[in-house]
Amino acid sequence: MQQKINRLKSIFGEDIMRLAIILAFLIVMPIASPYFLNIKNMMNILQNISLQGITAIGMTIVIITGGIDISTGGVCAFTAWIAASLMKSGTNWMLACVCAILIAMVCGSINAFSIGIMKIPPMIATLAMMNMTRGLQTVISRGTTLTGLPESFQFIGQGLLFGIIPLPAIIIVVFYLSASWFMSRTILGRNIYAVGGNPEAARVAGIRNTRVIFFAYILCSVLACIAGLIFVSRTNSAPATLGNNLEMRAIMAAVIGGTSVTFGGKGKIMGTFLGVIIVGLITNALDLLGVSAYYQQFIQGVLVLSVVILEAIRTMRVARQH
Amino acid sequence: MEQKIIVNMKNITMSFSGNKVLDNVNFDLRRGEVHSIMGANGAGKSTLIKILNGIYNTPFGEIEIDGKKVNIKTPSDAEKYGLAFVHQELNVCNDMTVAENMYIGNWIRDKYGLYDKKATSEKAKELLNIMGVSIDPDVPVRRLRTAEKQIIEILKTLTREAKVVILDEPTSSLNEAEKENFFGILERMKKKGVSIIFISHFLEDVFRLSDRVTVLKDGLNNGVFYRGHYTKDDLVVAMMGKKIANEVSDTLTISEDAPVILELQNFTSEKKFSNVSIKIHKGDIVGVCGLLGAGKTELAKAIFGIDDYDSGKLFLYGEEIKKPRPDLMIKKKVALLTEERKLEGFIPLMSIKENTTLSIMKTLANKLGIIYKSEQERFANNISEQMTIKMSSINQSVISLSGGNQQKVVIAKCLASEPKLFLLDEPTRGVDVYAKSEIYKILRDFAEKGTTIIIFSSELEELLANCSKIIVLKKGQVVDEVSAKNLTKNSLLSMIG
Repeated sequence: MQQKINRLKSIFGEDIMRLAIILAFLIVMPIASPYFLNIKNMMNILQNISLQGITAIGMTIVIITGGIDISTGGVCAFTAWIAASLMKSGTNWMLACVCAILIAMVCGSINAFSIGIMKIPPMIATLAMMNMTRGLQTVISRGTTLTGLPESFQFIGQGLLFGIIPLPAIIIVVFYLSASWFMSRTILGRNIYAVGGNPEAARVAGIRNTRVIFFAYILCSVLACIAGLIFVSRTNSAPATLGNNLEMRAIMAAVIGGTSVTFGGKGKIMGTFLGVIIVGLITNALDLLGVSAYYQQFIQGVLVLSVVILEAIRTMRVARQH
Repeated sequence: MEQKIIVNMKNITMSFSGNKVLDNVNFDLRRGEVHSIMGANGAGKSTLIKILNGIYNTPFGEIEIDGKKVNIKTPSDAEKYGLAFVHQELNVCNDMTVAENMYIGNWIRDKYGLYDKKATSEKAKELLNIMGVSIDPDVPVRRLRTAEKQIIEILKTLTREAKVVILDEPTSSLNEAEKENFFGILERMKKKGVSIIFISHFLEDVFRLSDRVTVLKDGLNNGVFYRGHYTKDDLVVAMMGKKIANEVSDTLTISEDAPVILELQNFTSEKKFSNVSIKIHKGDIVGVCGLLGAGKTELAKAIFGIDDYDSGKLFLYGEEIKKPRPDLMIKKKVALLTEERKLEGFIPLMSIKENTTLSIMKTLANKLGIIYKSEQERFANNISEQMTIKMSSINQSVISLSGGNQQKVVIAKCLASEPKLFLLDEPTRGVDVYAKSEIYKILRDFAEKGTTIIIFSSELEELLANCSKIIVLKKGQVVDEVSAKNLTKNSLLSMIG
């Protein structure tokens, strides 16, 4: 029994606060809105968080390497738009998606090249990539929205399993479980933590830091692209505003999830998952309560600040005990 | 005449989660006195100092300053009472000038209340002159050597009119010549009436400098020694409760026929070292010594492929290595223990388990890179036991260990890959005497099993006690290669200086 409790503690110990927030929602919200606990609404939440949720996986990994990637919104928009326009011109949708992912890989490689080899600060390197991708997307889209995509492609975003569970909800859960397993159980995953925790020590231990950096940034771009494709499929449209603020929402989820932006090597995929869920719950709750979108953004800001401050207090306490 | 007592700590008791770290410790400091605190890692030295600094608070015990009872709750309280702390890690602003660093946060203002650059520089110059330091106050601190930066940190305390200066391991990165200079500065500070608390692992320095030495052991005050009334052995006995045998490995003789493991031919890296040609035989323990800046660290890093070199040849087991790279060298069974433990040695947030297995993960995983957890645990448990690491479990994070145990983790990480050639750069810096002797023993065991060891160190005793021969570096060049047998510290000193 004691062992079980310890195990639970080691899994959830750092996530108590996040779980408590989620629990608070599950208790309070049904009183405020009877519609909240409806299974359809729950599925709706999972579906709605898929865009920033999948992007946040890559973001968390990049932040753990000690970097940041603010080009994810741009990469997402650019690649998803290309995929959509290829489909419109009659290309097979799978081929179009593969093209988009390949372009995302190129974007990620350029980021990694600037950061890992040219040693440009991640914020600057990815800022440039953000501008390039956003710029190109504006050029080719000219501000228009593409709709009317192939039905078979729409199935990814709109399909239902057992007639109730939307595919994006399944995809996001599967992605998080595999990413979490990958980060804790594979050499590459642990190397990501090592490189972020102390790049010099990692190098001395024979880890090839540049490779790890390349992997992280490419993965981050590819996940942003996949997130964009799912979004386009779900809404059957590729709007010019696709992925606006996506990078900020992904960073927000990672930070609420306990990933440290101050120094690398600290963070958990499942923490980010909880972070994504918290953001999703809040948005949903505020929607149900009829709060305007402008307030929502403000409330999200308040939430990030309070979580980060609470986390800081906890860290200080732990530091004092040692 | 007995000088007035400035700081008096009475019956200090402190526990962390039930463990008594300090038990009724008394400590007092007189005006113009150097009072050293010694003890093994974990004896309670740093806790005592942190209480004085206001980082830890304890309800048990009293602190008096100038005879008045005070309550030091935060570091800024400590500063208010004229206590100045110089930590082992340097806190300088590299891109500000020497003068600015000395007066940081305590700026000299002109009559309009604006920062007076000229007056700052002049006052700094005056202080530097008084203390006999020849450093230009107007150069950025980045251009100074580590030893000089340390001096600036100490002089900073004087600009704040500190009555008491607490120095934590100040000599660990100084070479012999710099130490002389440093001791001179401390003497002058004493004459000005400043009292000094000196915390150090270096017996020699403590012995030479202190008017009094307090030795802590397991949280207890284990004796106070007065200048001229004790020997170094007394200190060791008080610290460890046992005598550490000064084993000299005169049994280590390597025949010239043993296979050559490492050979360097005219190894050169501009401005770091030049024309280094050496041959190291199997199973040997070789020392490379020299002052700070002689090129020891640079040489070690170039051999391991962390830094580039310009020309020359490197042969490993007789085979030429054109472009060494850390991951390649590890594959070829070479390991390097780097000088800066915190910067390059370990991943602080990771556990002992992960740090010790960091460079051998490939052997603990399948082809897809999925880690066999139980094998990783078994391996980490074995090597931690072998290295006598004091820990609660292998899942403890390395940052929470004491300095000596951190170093053992880093050595374990290197030895995990079963190196045939093990390069160690300053392997025992900041490690207590007892842990040191354990580390030496482990190294000797590995040498007997055929591992070739090269120790790059500026601690002469360490080299004399452990190596069969010593290569002397001076300004990046090999000036001598001598057998360690019958070599004295003084003759070695004259070679490196």
